[in-house]
Amino acid sequence: MPKIIIDLGKCIACRACEIACEKEHNGRALITVLEFEDEEVALPLSCRHCNKAPCVEVCPTNALSFDKDGAVVLDESKCNGCAMCAIVCPFSIPLISKATKVMVKCDLCSNRRLRGEIPACVEVCPTNALIYGELEEVIKKLRESKAKKVVSAWRKAIEVVAAEASYMIPPRRS
Amino acid sequence: MRRIPVVCPFCGIGCRFYIKVVDDTVVDVKAYKGESVNRGSLCPKGLTSTEYLTSPSRLRYPLKKTETGFKPITWKEALREITERLIEFKKKYGADVVGFVSSARCTNEENYVFQKLARLYGTNNIDNCSRLCHASSMVGLTRTLGLGVQSSPFEEILRTNVVLIWGCNPAETHPVLMKYVLKAREHGARIIVVDPRRTRTAQLADIHLQLHPGTDVALANSLMNVIINKRLYNTEFIRERTTGFNDLSIIVDEYPPHVVEKITGVKAEKISEAARMFATAGRGVVIWGVGATQHAYGTDVATALSNLALICGYIGREGTGIYPLSGQNNVQGACDMGALPDFLPGYIRVTDNNGRGRIAKLWGVESLPAEPGLTLIELLKASSRGRIKALYIVGKNLVVSSPDTHMAKDALRRLEFLVVQDIFLTETAELADIVLPAAAWAEKEGSYTSSERRVQWSFKACDPPGEAKPDWQIITMIARGIGLGAYFQYSSVEDITWEITKAVPQYRGITPGRLKENLSGIYWPCPSENHPGTKRLYEKEFPTNNGRATLIPVKYRPPAEAPDEEYPFILLTVRIVGQYHTMAVTKYSQSLMKRWGEPYVEINTNDAIRLGIKNEDYVLVETRRGMIKAKAKVTSKIPSGVVAVPIHWGVNVLTSAILDPHSKTPGLKTCTCKIRKA
Repeated sequence: MPKIIIDLGKCIACRACEIACEKEHNGRALITVLEFEDEEVALPLSCRHCNKAPCVEVCPTNALSFDKDGAVVLDESKCNGCAMCAIVCPFSIPLISKATKVMVKCDLCSNRRLRGEIPACVEVCPTNALIYGELEEVIKKLRESKAKKVVSAWRKAIEVVAAEASYMIPPRRS
Repeated sequence: MRRIPVVCPFCGIGCRFYIKVVDDTVVDVKAYKGESVNRGSLCPKGLTSTEYLTSPSRLRYPLKKTETGFKPITWKEALREITERLIEFKKKYGADVVGFVSSARCTNEENYVFQKLARLYGTNNIDNCSRLCHASSMVGLTRTLGLGVQSSPFEEILRTNVVLIWGCNPAETHPVLMKYVLKAREHGARIIVVDPRRTRTAQLADIHLQLHPGTDVALANSLMNVIINKRLYNTEFIRERTTGFNDLSIIVDEYPPHVVEKITGVKAEKISEAARMFATAGRGVVIWGVGATQHAYGTDVATALSNLALICGYIGREGTGIYPLSGQNNVQGACDMGALPDFLPGYIRVTDNNGRGRIAKLWGVESLPAEPGLTLIELLKASSRGRIKALYIVGKNLVVSSPDTHMAKDALRRLEFLVVQDIFLTETAELADIVLPAAAWAEKEGSYTSSERRVQWSFKACDPPGEAKPDWQIITMIARGIGLGAYFQYSSVEDITWEITKAVPQYRGITPGRLKENLSGIYWPCPSENHPGTKRLYEKEFPTNNGRATLIPVKYRPPAEAPDEEYPFILLTVRIVGQYHTMAVTKYSQSLMKRWGEPYVEINTNDAIRLGIKNEDYVLVETRRGMIKAKAKVTSKIPSGVVAVPIHWGVNVLTSAILDPHSKTPGLKTCTCKIRKA
């Protein structure tokens, strides 16, 4: 089950993802960049496509379902706009569209996935703060890169001592 | 459906993408995932860059100013009037009363023909918009390294151990660059950011040196003081590749951290820690932006930063380099093409008899003007005094981008004749006698040179609106009209690209054919057609007389305007991610305007409380030159005593036209101001 993973701390709040999403979804951004000034973090948040999605459970008309990639998608013709999904969503993602009067949320770019493309927000992100892939593989890569940082910090600590020792030559004054 | 590969029209990173075209209409931007600086990612401006192309406000016909406003005229009428006036001015007063302003957002080919027009008309009064941003870097680095350019490609940042970012907030100004910086951090590189504000970039740093605005030279000298006193410099590199270390160490000796703490407000321990982190990393890069260069001492900052990189040996090796970032997609190219008052194409000084003779011979003329011309702001000041009588401005909104808007407007109004060639009726075009409608980037083809010296071809995706024409065609028509037709026999853009390969030694092997086949571009210098291009400069020697870089010590000078009782605040001019420069094009982009549509003034929380200003209150910011009104954004991200205003909404009514003595770049970055509730 592929997911969009957020590499927290890499988002620079440029909001390119919002605009890319808007282009893909008739002018409506289904991802929002939330900025936390004091914490100095920005969080690009869209539907998490929960494996045990409360919105799918609660939907009285069975308008919400999982597609073959495990994305939670909406059948607009079945939705009655009751907003129960919005009420139970742990991240308050679903909204009711003023134009169609039914629910609207991230579909993990259904059209793009049909063409073998990754979601628009992930593709455009200038810092790779958004990553698309199988959770296990993505997390494994993130873990490796974080471990690498630990190792390189340790190595650098040793090199600094060595470097400082080797530079103990007085500056040339001539 | 067609997919046309283009180069992004905004900053100097040089992102590549496709334009999707259906039935000759531009539909969308599509990711280009091949070898390129961005590989599919884009910032919000690049992503929406096609939105303004179809704006109903685009210029479609030549316009002539009449008493009742602008009136559309034919190309024939417009060209006749322009060429008659140009001939008349030259006959009556000599060619030096006319100035030419080129655009760093036009192609290499267009910059080349425009400077050729100026010079064959008889004047070196030609400059481009890089005067407002990176002329300081160019002049500073030419003094120290022999060449004023970025020394390494962006990919080099991935192989570095420490990234020093000075006076630059790439998270907002060059978002795609942050991919490289953050990837380097992932590999263990440390990030040091020097900025008076706690910017988004500073928030991602290991060390943030939050200096008082205008104290850059003192801080850079202090970092070198620590590096030299603690013997953390690269002895071998200094001995073999540089001269002047002795003089440098004598000057920086006057800047120990405990003294500089009092000047910069940065704690002495933090200066020492940053110096140690930078010098002991083994590999480092220095990136800077207009926070370093838009000062009356901008050349000194660029010089000091190059000294800093040199004493650590961070130039010309793997994982090292100096990166003066350019803010427009063809700053580098416009300068390479000689759209400068003191340089001919290929950085040949106009005063160099041999070099000038070579260009004259290539163009088929006897001689070329040998006196350096006036720089951008000097052109404006000379216009005020009546010494310049006519200006021909291409793709530059000078009224809004120049310091001291009132001065700039007044100068342009005093001109006897003003021609502005642009894609919209900008604030500058509104003052023109004749306005010429130009084709935008996607409506023409040609090459652009990014900040990393990567020359890339941008293809034509659609036709320009109405009767608008590519700049190179308009310039060529004017040249023909004033009797220079023999020297402007171009029937296509490629004809000009070919001439560039003959005129500019660095571009000798960069032919139109190679550029079109190779979408990833070619890095100059590229001396021959089978040369792959040069990504990293200075591996063996520097292009100076003795092959060595010169360490030029610079002293700290306090800013020209210091806060006083009347104007107690320091004003910083800053940029935001979703707008671009004077908004000449971004204001026509819906996606951007709905997110970044309103100006604001950042003020420190404590200052706001003291002045009774609440978040979102309207405030007035006033300097000795003018006043603006905008909503307050109360924040702790800016130090007390400083206010920051984004440049995009005409902030230059406030700024001062004080110039750097070497580069003539105006000190747009800071001045003093007062602020009160509106």
